[in-house]
Amino acid sequence: MSDVTIAEPSPARRTLGRLAWQLLPLCPFALVLAAWAIYWTIARPPPATLPAPHDVADAVWELAARGDLATHVAASLWRLLLGTSLGVLTGVIGGFVAGLNRPVAAFLNPLIVFFNAISGIVWLPLVIGWLGIGTALAVFLIWNTVFFIVFQNTVLGVQLVPQVYEQGVQALGGGRWETIRSVILPGALPYILTGLRSGLGFGWRALIAAELVGATTGLGQMIYGATEFHRSDIVIGGCLIIGTIAMAMDRWLLLPIERRTIARWGLVIDARKEQ
Amino acid sequence: MSAANALSERAGFRHQPALAAVRRLGGLKILLPFAALIAAWWAIHASADFSPQVLVSPLAVWRAFVHLVAYGVMAEYASTSLRMIGVATVLSLMVGVPIGFAVGVNRYAAHALEGFLRFLQGISGIAWLPLAIIWFGFTHATTLVIVIYTLIVPIIFNTMIGVRAIPPTYALALRSLGASPLRLVTDVYLPGALPSIVVGLRLGMGYGWRALIAAEMLVRRGGLGDLIFGARTFGQIDRIIAGMIVIGCLYVVIDRLIVQPIENLTIARWGVLRT
Repeated sequence: MSDVTIAEPSPARRTLGRLAWQLLPLCPFALVLAAWAIYWTIARPPPATLPAPHDVADAVWELAARGDLATHVAASLWRLLLGTSLGVLTGVIGGFVAGLNRPVAAFLNPLIVFFNAISGIVWLPLVIGWLGIGTALAVFLIWNTVFFIVFQNTVLGVQLVPQVYEQGVQALGGGRWETIRSVILPGALPYILTGLRSGLGFGWRALIAAELVGATTGLGQMIYGATEFHRSDIVIGGCLIIGTIAMAMDRWLLLPIERRTIARWGLVIDARKEQ
Repeated sequence: MSAANALSERAGFRHQPALAAVRRLGGLKILLPFAALIAAWWAIHASADFSPQVLVSPLAVWRAFVHLVAYGVMAEYASTSLRMIGVATVLSLMVGVPIGFAVGVNRYAAHALEGFLRFLQGISGIAWLPLAIIWFGFTHATTLVIVIYTLIVPIIFNTMIGVRAIPPTYALALRSLGASPLRLVTDVYLPGALPSIVVGLRLGMGYGWRALIAAEMLVRRGGLGDLIFGARTFGQIDRIIAGMIVIGCLYVVIDRLIVQPIENLTIARWGVLRT
Protein backbone atom coordinates (compact mmCIF):
# COMPACT_ATOMS: atom_id res chain seq x y z
CA MET A 1 0.00 0.00 0.00
CA SER A 2 2.75 2.44 -0.87
CA ASP A 3 1.57 5.69 -2.38
CA VAL A 4 3.63 8.15 -4.32
CA THR A 5 3.94 11.15 -2.07
CA ILE A 6 5.68 14.36 -2.91
CA ALA A 7 7.12 15.25 0.46
CA GLU A 8 8.21 12.43 2.71
CA PRO A 9 5.97 12.71 5.80
CA SER A 10 7.39 12.27 9.27
CA PRO A 11 7.11 8.77 10.80
CA ALA A 12 4.63 10.01 13.40
CA ARG A 13 2.36 11.40 10.72
CA ARG A 14 2.62 8.26 8.70
CA THR A 15 1.57 6.16 11.69
CA LEU A 16 -1.33 8.53 12.26
CA GLY A 17 -2.30 8.25 8.61
CA ARG A 18 -2.19 4.48 8.74
CA LEU A 19 -4.32 4.48 11.88
CA ALA A 20 -6.89 6.78 10.24
CA TRP A 21 -6.94 4.50 7.19
CA GLN A 22 -7.59 1.50 9.39
CA LEU A 23 -10.33 3.25 11.36
CA LEU A 24 -12.03 4.55 8.21
CA PRO A 25 -14.29 1.47 7.75
CA LEU A 26 -15.81 2.18 11.16
CA CYS A 27 -17.04 5.62 10.05
CA PRO A 28 -20.26 4.52 8.29
CA PHE A 29 -21.25 2.49 11.36
CA ALA A 30 -20.57 5.46 13.64
CA LEU A 31 -22.50 7.80 11.32
CA VAL A 32 -25.56 5.55 11.18
CA LEU A 33 -25.46 5.11 14.95
CA ALA A 34 -25.18 8.87 15.48
CA ALA A 35 -28.02 9.63 13.07
CA TRP A 36 -30.19 7.04 14.78
CA ALA A 37 -29.42 8.39 18.26
CA ILE A 38 -30.04 12.01 17.20
CA TYR A 39 -33.29 11.12 15.42
CA TRP A 40 -34.44 9.19 18.46
CA THR A 41 -33.60 12.04 20.84
CA ILE A 42 -35.48 14.60 18.72
CA ALA A 43 -38.48 12.64 17.49
CA ARG A 44 -38.92 10.19 20.38
CA PRO A 45 -40.71 7.54 18.30
CA PRO A 46 -42.66 4.87 20.21
CA PRO A 47 -40.30 2.05 21.24
CA ALA A 48 -42.24 -0.45 19.12
CA THR A 49 -41.41 1.59 16.01
CA LEU A 50 -37.83 2.54 16.69
CA PRO A 51 -36.13 1.86 20.02
CA ALA A 52 -33.14 3.86 21.21
CA PRO A 53 -29.67 2.44 20.46
CA HIS A 54 -29.09 1.78 24.15
CA ASP A 55 -32.41 -0.11 24.37
CA VAL A 56 -31.17 -2.42 21.62
CA ALA A 57 -27.89 -2.90 23.47
CA ASP A 58 -29.86 -3.65 26.66
CA ALA A 59 -32.10 -6.15 24.86
CA VAL A 60 -29.11 -7.97 23.38
CA TRP A 61 -27.34 -7.96 26.75
CA GLU A 62 -30.44 -9.35 28.43
CA LEU A 63 -30.80 -12.11 25.84
CA ALA A 64 -27.14 -12.95 26.19
CA ALA A 65 -27.32 -13.00 29.99
CA ARG A 66 -30.31 -15.35 29.94
CA GLY A 67 -28.42 -17.66 27.58
CA ASP A 68 -31.17 -17.46 24.95
CA LEU A 69 -28.88 -15.75 22.50
CA ALA A 70 -26.29 -18.51 22.69
CA THR A 71 -29.01 -21.12 22.11
CA HIS A 72 -30.32 -19.33 19.03
CA VAL A 73 -26.89 -18.63 17.56
CA ALA A 74 -25.77 -22.21 18.20
CA ALA A 75 -28.92 -23.59 16.57
CA SER A 76 -28.45 -21.42 13.48
CA LEU A 77 -24.75 -22.13 13.09
CA TRP A 78 -25.22 -25.86 13.59
CA ARG A 79 -27.83 -25.92 10.82
CA LEU A 80 -25.60 -23.88 8.56
CA LEU A 81 -22.65 -26.18 9.17
CA LEU A 82 -24.69 -29.31 8.58
CA GLY A 83 -26.45 -28.01 5.48
CA THR A 84 -23.34 -26.50 3.92
CA SER A 85 -21.16 -29.57 4.55
CA LEU A 86 -23.79 -31.81 3.01
CA GLY A 87 -24.20 -29.42 0.09
CA VAL A 88 -20.48 -29.16 -0.59
CA LEU A 89 -19.88 -32.88 -0.23
CA THR A 90 -22.71 -33.94 -2.55
CA GLY A 91 -22.09 -31.01 -4.90
CA VAL A 92 -18.39 -31.76 -5.36
CA ILE A 93 -18.88 -35.50 -5.78
CA GLY A 94 -21.81 -35.02 -8.14
CA GLY A 95 -19.98 -32.29 -10.00
CA PHE A 96 -16.95 -34.52 -10.54
CA VAL A 97 -19.03 -37.41 -11.81
CA ALA A 98 -20.94 -35.15 -14.19
CA GLY A 99 -17.95 -33.03 -15.17
CA LEU A 100 -15.84 -36.03 -16.17
CA ASN A 101 -18.67 -37.33 -18.26
CA ARG A 102 -19.71 -34.78 -20.86
CA PRO A 103 -22.94 -36.44 -22.05
CA VAL A 104 -24.11 -36.74 -18.43
CA ALA A 105 -23.35 -33.08 -17.77
CA ALA A 106 -25.16 -32.00 -20.93
CA PHE A 107 -28.15 -34.16 -20.03
CA LEU A 108 -28.36 -32.88 -16.46
CA ASN A 109 -27.75 -29.20 -17.26
CA PRO A 110 -31.38 -28.18 -17.91
CA LEU A 111 -32.48 -29.88 -14.68
CA ILE A 112 -29.74 -28.17 -12.70
CA VAL A 113 -30.62 -24.76 -14.14
CA PHE A 114 -34.27 -25.27 -13.30
CA PHE A 115 -33.73 -26.58 -9.78
CA ASN A 116 -31.19 -23.87 -9.07
CA ALA A 117 -33.90 -21.36 -9.93
CA ILE A 118 -36.19 -22.78 -7.25
CA SER A 119 -33.51 -23.62 -4.71
CA GLY A 120 -33.97 -22.62 -1.10
CA ILE A 121 -37.01 -20.97 0.36
CA VAL A 122 -39.33 -21.96 -2.51
CA TRP A 123 -39.24 -25.53 -1.20
CA LEU A 124 -40.43 -24.51 2.26
CA PRO A 125 -44.19 -25.01 1.79
CA LEU A 126 -43.69 -28.47 0.28
CA VAL A 127 -40.96 -29.75 2.58
CA ILE A 128 -42.58 -28.46 5.76
CA GLY A 129 -45.19 -31.16 5.13
CA TRP A 130 -42.50 -33.84 4.75
CA LEU A 131 -40.04 -32.95 7.49
CA GLY A 132 -42.10 -30.81 9.86
CA ILE A 133 -40.77 -27.75 11.63
CA GLY A 134 -37.20 -27.84 12.90
CA THR A 135 -33.58 -28.51 12.08
CA ALA A 136 -34.23 -31.09 9.34
CA LEU A 137 -36.23 -28.54 7.35
CA ALA A 138 -33.58 -25.82 7.64
CA VAL A 139 -30.78 -28.25 6.78
CA PHE A 140 -32.68 -29.44 3.72
CA LEU A 141 -33.19 -25.88 2.49
CA ILE A 142 -29.51 -25.00 2.99
CA TRP A 143 -28.34 -28.23 1.33
CA ASN A 144 -30.70 -27.54 -1.53
CA THR A 145 -29.30 -24.02 -1.96
CA VAL A 146 -25.61 -24.90 -1.65
CA PHE A 147 -25.71 -28.10 -3.71
CA PHE A 148 -26.71 -26.62 -7.04
CA ILE A 149 -24.23 -23.74 -6.87
CA VAL A 150 -21.32 -25.99 -5.88
CA PHE A 151 -22.37 -28.60 -8.43
CA GLN A 152 -22.45 -26.11 -11.31
CA ASN A 153 -19.12 -24.61 -10.36
CA THR A 154 -17.46 -28.00 -9.94
CA VAL A 155 -18.69 -29.14 -13.35
CA LEU A 156 -17.40 -25.95 -14.89
CA GLY A 157 -14.04 -26.23 -13.14
CA VAL A 158 -13.59 -29.87 -14.13
CA GLN A 159 -14.51 -29.19 -17.73
CA LEU A 160 -12.22 -26.19 -18.04
CA VAL A 161 -9.05 -28.07 -17.06
CA PRO A 162 -7.04 -28.18 -20.31
CA GLN A 163 -6.86 -31.70 -21.67
CA VAL A 164 -3.15 -31.30 -22.33
CA TYR A 165 -2.46 -31.60 -18.60
CA GLU A 166 -4.49 -34.78 -18.34
CA GLN A 167 -2.70 -36.21 -21.34
CA GLY A 168 0.60 -35.21 -19.79
CA VAL A 169 -0.06 -37.25 -16.68
CA GLN A 170 -1.39 -40.12 -18.74
CA ALA A 171 1.68 -40.10 -20.96
CA LEU A 172 3.82 -40.43 -17.85
CA GLY A 173 1.86 -43.53 -16.94
CA GLY A 174 -0.69 -42.06 -14.54
CA GLY A 175 -4.00 -43.88 -14.27
CA ARG A 176 -7.51 -42.47 -14.11
CA TRP A 177 -7.34 -41.88 -10.36
CA GLU A 178 -3.90 -40.29 -10.59
CA THR A 179 -5.20 -37.87 -13.25
CA ILE A 180 -8.15 -36.84 -11.11
CA ARG A 181 -6.04 -36.39 -7.99
CA SER A 182 -3.10 -34.49 -9.45
CA VAL A 183 -4.66 -32.59 -12.35
CA ILE A 184 -8.40 -32.20 -12.22
CA LEU A 185 -8.87 -31.64 -8.49
CA PRO A 186 -6.32 -28.81 -8.21
CA GLY A 187 -7.51 -27.37 -11.51
CA ALA A 188 -11.13 -27.30 -10.41
CA LEU A 189 -10.42 -26.11 -6.87
CA PRO A 190 -10.72 -22.35 -7.53
CA TYR A 191 -14.13 -22.91 -9.08
CA ILE A 192 -15.23 -25.15 -6.22
CA LEU A 193 -14.18 -22.47 -3.74
CA THR A 194 -16.05 -19.79 -5.69
CA GLY A 195 -19.06 -22.06 -5.51
CA LEU A 196 -18.60 -22.52 -1.78
CA ARG A 197 -18.35 -18.80 -1.19
CA SER A 198 -21.41 -17.94 -3.18
CA GLY A 199 -23.28 -20.98 -1.85
CA LEU A 200 -22.65 -19.89 1.72
CA GLY A 201 -24.05 -16.44 0.89
CA PHE A 202 -27.25 -17.96 -0.43
CA GLY A 203 -27.31 -20.58 2.32
CA TRP A 204 -27.15 -18.01 5.13
CA ARG A 205 -30.12 -16.18 3.60
CA ALA A 206 -32.06 -19.40 3.11
CA LEU A 207 -31.40 -20.31 6.75
CA ILE A 208 -32.72 -17.02 8.17
CA ALA A 209 -35.77 -17.18 5.89
CA ALA A 210 -36.43 -20.81 6.82
CA GLU A 211 -36.16 -20.07 10.51
CA LEU A 212 -38.72 -17.26 10.33
CA VAL A 213 -41.52 -19.79 10.00
CA GLY A 214 -39.92 -23.21 9.96
CA ALA A 215 -38.20 -23.51 13.33
CA THR A 216 -38.69 -23.04 17.04
CA THR A 217 -35.12 -21.86 17.70
CA GLY A 218 -32.51 -19.98 15.72
CA LEU A 219 -31.85 -16.34 14.94
CA GLY A 220 -34.61 -16.10 12.35
CA GLN A 221 -37.15 -17.38 14.85
CA MET A 222 -35.77 -15.06 17.52
CA ILE A 223 -36.51 -11.96 15.45
CA TYR A 224 -39.79 -13.19 13.99
CA GLY A 225 -41.05 -14.24 17.41
CA ALA A 226 -40.17 -10.80 18.76
CA THR A 227 -42.45 -9.17 16.16
CA GLU A 228 -45.50 -10.63 17.86
CA PHE A 229 -44.70 -8.68 21.02
CA HIS A 230 -43.61 -5.60 19.06
CA ARG A 231 -40.12 -5.95 20.48
CA SER A 232 -38.31 -3.90 17.85
CA ASP A 233 -35.25 -3.80 20.07
CA ILE A 234 -34.84 -7.57 19.78
CA VAL A 235 -35.53 -7.45 16.03
CA ILE A 236 -32.87 -4.81 15.39
CA GLY A 237 -30.42 -6.45 17.79
CA GLY A 238 -31.00 -9.76 16.01
CA CYS A 239 -30.41 -8.21 12.60
CA LEU A 240 -27.13 -6.71 13.80
CA ILE A 241 -26.04 -10.08 15.18
CA ILE A 242 -26.95 -11.77 11.88
CA GLY A 243 -24.84 -9.20 10.00
CA THR A 244 -21.93 -9.56 12.42
CA ILE A 245 -21.87 -13.35 12.09
CA ALA A 246 -22.04 -13.12 8.30
CA MET A 247 -19.21 -10.60 8.25
CA ALA A 248 -17.11 -12.70 10.61
CA MET A 249 -17.60 -15.74 8.37
CA ASP A 250 -16.66 -13.69 5.35
CA ARG A 251 -13.56 -12.29 7.02
CA TRP A 252 -12.15 -15.32 8.77
CA LEU A 253 -13.45 -18.15 6.64
CA LEU A 254 -14.09 -17.05 3.09
CA LEU A 255 -11.60 -14.24 2.60
CA PRO A 256 -8.61 -16.40 3.56
CA ILE A 257 -9.91 -19.07 1.20
CA GLU A 258 -10.27 -16.56 -1.60
CA ARG A 259 -6.88 -15.06 -0.88
CA ARG A 260 -5.26 -18.46 -1.07
CA THR A 261 -6.97 -19.08 -4.37
CA ILE A 262 -5.85 -15.70 -5.65
CA ALA A 263 -2.32 -16.22 -4.43
CA ARG A 264 -2.17 -19.58 -6.06
CA TRP A 265 -4.02 -18.98 -9.28
CA GLY A 266 -3.60 -15.26 -9.82
CA LEU A 267 -7.24 -14.35 -10.25
CA VAL A 268 -8.58 -10.85 -9.50
CA ILE A 269 -5.28 -9.13 -8.90
CA ASP A 270 -6.83 -5.86 -7.79
CA ALA A 271 -8.44 -7.48 -4.73
CA ARG A 272 -5.14 -7.14 -2.90
CA LYS A 273 -4.96 -3.41 -3.40
CA GLU A 274 -7.74 -2.82 -0.93
CA GLN A 275 -6.08 -4.38 2.09
CA MET B 1 -14.38 -12.57 -8.15
CA SER B 2 -17.93 -13.76 -8.64
CA ALA B 3 -17.64 -13.55 -12.40
CA ALA B 4 -16.61 -17.19 -12.49
CA ASN B 5 -19.85 -18.08 -10.80
CA ALA B 6 -21.91 -15.99 -13.16
CA LEU B 7 -20.60 -17.78 -16.17
CA SER B 8 -20.95 -21.18 -14.61
CA GLU B 9 -24.53 -21.54 -15.77
CA ARG B 10 -23.45 -21.48 -19.33
CA ALA B 11 -21.28 -24.55 -18.91
CA GLY B 12 -23.55 -26.70 -21.04
CA PHE B 13 -23.44 -24.30 -23.95
CA ARG B 14 -19.81 -23.37 -23.91
CA HIS B 15 -18.49 -26.33 -25.77
CA GLN B 16 -20.99 -26.44 -28.60
CA PRO B 17 -19.13 -25.52 -31.75
CA ALA B 18 -22.06 -24.86 -34.08
CA LEU B 19 -24.80 -22.64 -32.74
CA ALA B 20 -27.31 -23.70 -35.37
CA ALA B 21 -27.00 -27.33 -34.38
CA VAL B 22 -27.62 -26.41 -30.76
CA ARG B 23 -30.75 -24.57 -31.71
CA ARG B 24 -32.06 -27.52 -33.71
CA LEU B 25 -31.35 -30.05 -31.01
CA GLY B 26 -31.96 -27.63 -28.15
CA GLY B 27 -35.68 -28.20 -27.70
CA LEU B 28 -35.44 -31.95 -27.43
CA LYS B 29 -32.29 -31.89 -25.35
CA ILE B 30 -33.84 -29.58 -22.83
CA LEU B 31 -37.13 -31.43 -22.58
CA LEU B 32 -35.71 -34.94 -22.34
CA PRO B 33 -34.31 -34.64 -18.79
CA PHE B 34 -37.60 -33.22 -17.58
CA ALA B 35 -39.49 -36.10 -19.20
CA ALA B 36 -37.20 -38.49 -17.34
CA LEU B 37 -37.76 -36.64 -14.09
CA ILE B 38 -41.54 -36.71 -14.49
CA ALA B 39 -41.42 -40.41 -15.33
CA ALA B 40 -39.40 -41.07 -12.16
CA TRP B 41 -41.81 -38.97 -10.11
CA TRP B 42 -44.73 -40.88 -11.56
CA ALA B 43 -43.08 -44.21 -10.81
CA ILE B 44 -42.37 -43.21 -7.20
CA HIS B 45 -45.92 -42.02 -6.78
CA ALA B 46 -47.35 -45.21 -8.27
CA SER B 47 -45.05 -47.52 -6.31
CA ALA B 48 -46.37 -46.62 -2.87
CA ASP B 49 -49.63 -45.42 -1.49
CA PHE B 50 -48.85 -41.78 -0.71
CA SER B 51 -51.38 -39.64 1.06
CA PRO B 52 -52.36 -36.63 -1.08
CA GLN B 53 -50.96 -34.51 1.77
CA VAL B 54 -47.49 -35.87 1.07
CA LEU B 55 -47.11 -36.42 -2.68
CA VAL B 56 -49.44 -36.16 -5.63
CA SER B 57 -49.08 -37.42 -9.18
CA PRO B 58 -47.85 -35.19 -12.02
CA LEU B 59 -51.34 -35.42 -13.48
CA ALA B 60 -52.88 -33.87 -10.36
CA VAL B 61 -50.35 -31.03 -10.52
CA TRP B 62 -51.20 -30.47 -14.16
CA ARG B 63 -54.92 -30.35 -13.29
CA ALA B 64 -54.27 -27.85 -10.49
CA PHE B 65 -52.19 -25.75 -12.87
CA VAL B 66 -54.92 -25.75 -15.54
CA HIS B 67 -57.47 -24.89 -12.88
CA LEU B 68 -55.39 -21.98 -11.58
CA VAL B 69 -54.76 -20.66 -15.08
CA ALA B 70 -58.38 -21.04 -16.18
CA TYR B 71 -59.67 -19.00 -13.28
CA GLY B 72 -57.05 -16.31 -13.80
CA VAL B 73 -55.59 -16.91 -10.35
CA MET B 74 -52.15 -17.83 -11.66
CA ALA B 75 -51.96 -14.78 -13.93
CA GLU B 76 -52.84 -12.49 -11.05
CA TYR B 77 -50.38 -13.97 -8.56
CA ALA B 78 -47.61 -14.19 -11.15
CA SER B 79 -48.12 -10.65 -12.40
CA THR B 80 -47.96 -9.35 -8.81
CA SER B 81 -44.59 -11.02 -8.33
CA LEU B 82 -43.23 -9.95 -11.71
CA ARG B 83 -44.30 -6.35 -11.25
CA MET B 84 -42.64 -6.30 -7.86
CA ILE B 85 -39.29 -7.65 -9.08
CA GLY B 86 -39.42 -5.39 -12.14
CA VAL B 87 -40.06 -2.21 -10.15
CA ALA B 88 -37.44 -3.19 -7.57
CA THR B 89 -34.82 -3.90 -10.24
CA VAL B 90 -35.33 -0.62 -12.08
CA LEU B 91 -35.29 1.42 -8.88
CA SER B 92 -32.24 -0.38 -7.52
CA LEU B 93 -30.28 0.17 -10.72
CA MET B 94 -31.28 3.82 -10.92
CA VAL B 95 -30.22 4.50 -7.36
CA GLY B 96 -27.51 1.89 -6.82
CA VAL B 97 -25.31 2.46 -9.86
CA PRO B 98 -24.79 6.22 -9.29
CA ILE B 99 -24.04 5.57 -5.62
CA GLY B 100 -21.58 2.86 -6.64
CA PHE B 101 -19.84 5.27 -9.03
CA ALA B 102 -19.69 8.04 -6.46
CA VAL B 103 -18.16 5.71 -3.90
CA GLY B 104 -15.92 3.87 -6.34
CA VAL B 105 -14.07 6.87 -7.75
CA ASN B 106 -12.97 7.95 -4.29
CA ARG B 107 -10.35 5.75 -2.69
CA TYR B 108 -11.28 6.84 0.83
CA ALA B 109 -15.03 6.51 0.35
CA ALA B 110 -14.59 3.05 -1.14
CA HIS B 111 -12.39 1.95 1.74
CA ALA B 112 -14.80 3.41 4.29
CA LEU B 113 -17.91 1.83 2.80
CA GLU B 114 -16.65 -1.59 1.78
CA GLY B 115 -16.97 -3.11 5.24
CA PHE B 116 -20.32 -1.47 5.84
CA LEU B 117 -21.69 -2.85 2.57
CA ARG B 118 -20.36 -6.30 3.40
CA PHE B 119 -22.09 -6.06 6.75
CA LEU B 120 -25.37 -5.06 5.09
CA GLN B 121 -25.01 -7.86 2.59
CA GLY B 122 -24.70 -10.26 5.51
CA ILE B 123 -28.05 -9.14 6.89
CA SER B 124 -30.28 -10.63 4.26
CA GLY B 125 -33.32 -8.59 3.26
CA ILE B 126 -35.54 -11.20 4.77
CA ALA B 127 -34.01 -10.61 8.21
CA TRP B 128 -35.33 -7.03 8.07
CA LEU B 129 -38.80 -8.36 7.25
CA PRO B 130 -40.02 -8.43 10.88
CA LEU B 131 -38.99 -4.79 11.32
CA ALA B 132 -40.48 -3.80 7.96
CA ILE B 133 -43.75 -5.45 9.00
CA ILE B 134 -43.76 -3.36 12.20
CA TRP B 135 -43.08 -0.20 10.19
CA PHE B 136 -45.21 -0.68 7.09
CA GLY B 137 -47.67 -3.39 8.13
CA PHE B 138 -48.64 -6.33 5.94
CA THR B 139 -48.56 -4.34 2.70
CA HIS B 140 -46.89 -4.31 -0.70
CA ALA B 141 -44.64 -1.54 0.60
CA THR B 142 -43.05 -4.00 3.02
CA THR B 143 -42.31 -6.47 0.23
CA LEU B 144 -40.98 -3.77 -2.07
CA VAL B 145 -38.66 -2.34 0.58
CA ILE B 146 -37.26 -5.79 1.34
CA VAL B 147 -36.67 -6.63 -2.32
CA ILE B 148 -35.07 -3.26 -3.11
CA TYR B 149 -32.77 -3.59 -0.09
CA THR B 150 -31.79 -7.07 -1.23
CA LEU B 151 -31.09 -5.94 -4.79
CA ILE B 152 -29.41 -2.62 -4.17
CA VAL B 153 -26.61 -3.76 -1.85
CA PRO B 154 -24.94 -6.14 -4.35
CA ILE B 155 -25.45 -3.58 -7.13
CA ILE B 156 -23.74 -0.79 -5.18
CA PHE B 157 -21.02 -3.15 -4.02
CA ASN B 158 -20.23 -4.55 -7.46
CA THR B 159 -20.41 -1.15 -9.16
CA MET B 160 -17.90 0.09 -6.61
CA ILE B 161 -15.63 -2.92 -7.15
CA GLY B 162 -15.93 -2.48 -10.90
CA VAL B 163 -14.92 1.16 -10.77
CA ARG B 164 -12.05 0.40 -8.38
CA ALA B 165 -10.70 -2.24 -10.76
CA ILE B 166 -10.29 0.24 -13.62
CA PRO B 167 -6.63 1.25 -13.87
CA PRO B 168 -6.45 4.92 -12.80
CA THR B 169 -4.19 5.67 -15.77
CA TYR B 170 -7.19 5.44 -18.12
CA ALA B 171 -9.02 8.19 -16.31
CA LEU B 172 -5.81 10.21 -16.04
CA ALA B 173 -5.15 9.83 -19.76
CA LEU B 174 -8.57 11.18 -20.64
CA ARG B 175 -8.29 13.98 -18.15
CA SER B 176 -4.95 15.09 -19.49
CA LEU B 177 -6.61 15.32 -22.91
CA GLY B 178 -9.17 17.67 -21.39
CA ALA B 179 -12.15 15.34 -20.92
CA SER B 180 -15.02 16.54 -18.74
CA PRO B 181 -16.17 14.48 -15.73
CA LEU B 182 -19.17 13.35 -17.79
CA ARG B 183 -16.89 12.02 -20.52
CA LEU B 184 -14.93 10.15 -17.85
CA VAL B 185 -18.13 8.44 -16.67
CA THR B 186 -19.38 7.54 -20.16
CA ASP B 187 -16.02 6.60 -21.68
CA VAL B 188 -14.11 5.07 -18.79
CA TYR B 189 -16.13 4.24 -15.72
CA LEU B 190 -19.32 2.95 -17.32
CA PRO B 191 -17.74 0.63 -19.89
CA GLY B 192 -15.08 -0.46 -17.43
CA ALA B 193 -17.49 -1.21 -14.61
CA LEU B 194 -20.37 -2.60 -16.67
CA PRO B 195 -19.36 -6.29 -16.51
CA SER B 196 -19.08 -5.99 -12.74
CA ILE B 197 -22.41 -4.15 -12.51
CA VAL B 198 -24.08 -6.95 -14.45
CA VAL B 199 -22.54 -9.50 -12.09
CA GLY B 200 -24.00 -7.51 -9.20
CA LEU B 201 -27.37 -7.31 -10.92
CA ARG B 202 -27.40 -11.03 -11.50
CA LEU B 203 -26.45 -11.81 -7.91
CA GLY B 204 -28.98 -9.26 -6.70
CA MET B 205 -31.72 -10.81 -8.83
CA GLY B 206 -30.86 -14.23 -7.45
CA TYR B 207 -31.10 -12.96 -3.88
CA GLY B 208 -34.00 -10.61 -4.67
CA TRP B 209 -36.23 -13.20 -6.30
CA ARG B 210 -35.88 -15.49 -3.29
CA ALA B 211 -36.40 -12.60 -0.87
CA LEU B 212 -39.53 -11.69 -2.82
CA ILE B 213 -40.95 -15.20 -2.57
CA ALA B 214 -40.11 -15.39 1.14
CA ALA B 215 -41.58 -11.94 1.85
CA GLU B 216 -44.76 -12.84 -0.04
CA MET B 217 -45.10 -15.96 2.08
CA LEU B 218 -45.19 -13.91 5.26
CA VAL B 219 -46.91 -10.73 4.07
CA ARG B 220 -49.66 -12.72 2.34
CA ARG B 221 -50.82 -9.99 -0.02
CA GLY B 222 -50.66 -11.81 -3.34
CA GLY B 223 -47.70 -13.03 -5.34
CA LEU B 224 -46.42 -16.52 -6.02
CA GLY B 225 -44.97 -16.92 -2.52
CA ASP B 226 -48.43 -16.26 -1.11
CA LEU B 227 -49.89 -18.78 -3.56
CA ILE B 228 -47.69 -21.67 -2.48
CA PHE B 229 -47.67 -20.78 1.22
CA GLY B 230 -51.44 -20.32 1.25
CA ALA B 231 -51.84 -23.71 -0.39
CA ARG B 232 -49.79 -25.18 2.48
CA THR B 233 -52.46 -24.08 4.96
CA PHE B 234 -55.00 -26.26 3.16
CA GLY B 235 -52.53 -29.04 2.39
CA GLN B 236 -52.96 -28.57 -1.38
CA ILE B 237 -49.71 -30.21 -2.51
CA ASP B 238 -50.80 -30.06 -6.16
CA ARG B 239 -51.06 -26.28 -5.99
CA ILE B 240 -47.72 -25.96 -4.17
CA ILE B 241 -45.86 -27.97 -6.81
CA ALA B 242 -47.61 -26.15 -9.66
CA GLY B 243 -46.60 -22.84 -8.07
CA MET B 244 -43.00 -24.00 -7.61
CA ILE B 245 -42.77 -24.96 -11.27
CA VAL B 246 -44.11 -21.56 -12.32
CA ILE B 247 -41.62 -19.82 -10.01
CA GLY B 248 -38.75 -21.82 -11.50
CA CYS B 249 -39.84 -21.24 -15.10
CA LEU B 250 -40.31 -17.51 -14.58
CA TYR B 251 -36.91 -17.15 -12.99
CA VAL B 252 -35.18 -19.12 -15.73
CA VAL B 253 -36.94 -16.95 -18.33
CA ILE B 254 -35.94 -13.71 -16.55
CA ASP B 255 -32.37 -14.89 -16.17
CA ARG B 256 -31.94 -16.30 -19.67
CA LEU B 257 -33.89 -13.78 -21.71
CA ILE B 258 -33.04 -10.56 -19.93
CA VAL B 259 -30.01 -10.75 -17.65
CA GLN B 260 -27.85 -13.12 -19.65
CA PRO B 261 -28.17 -11.32 -23.02
CA ILE B 262 -27.12 -8.11 -21.28
CA GLU B 263 -24.16 -9.93 -19.82
CA ASN B 264 -23.20 -11.40 -23.19
CA LEU B 265 -23.50 -7.99 -24.76
CA THR B 266 -21.16 -6.39 -22.25
CA ILE B 267 -18.67 -9.19 -22.65
CA ALA B 268 -18.83 -9.19 -26.43
CA ARG B 269 -18.33 -5.44 -26.45
CA TRP B 270 -15.75 -5.01 -23.73
CA GLY B 271 -14.11 -8.40 -23.84
CA VAL B 272 -13.73 -9.46 -20.24
CA LEU B 273 -11.56 -12.50 -19.86
CA ARG B 274 -13.69 -15.60 -19.70
CA THR B 275 -11.47 -18.57 -18.97
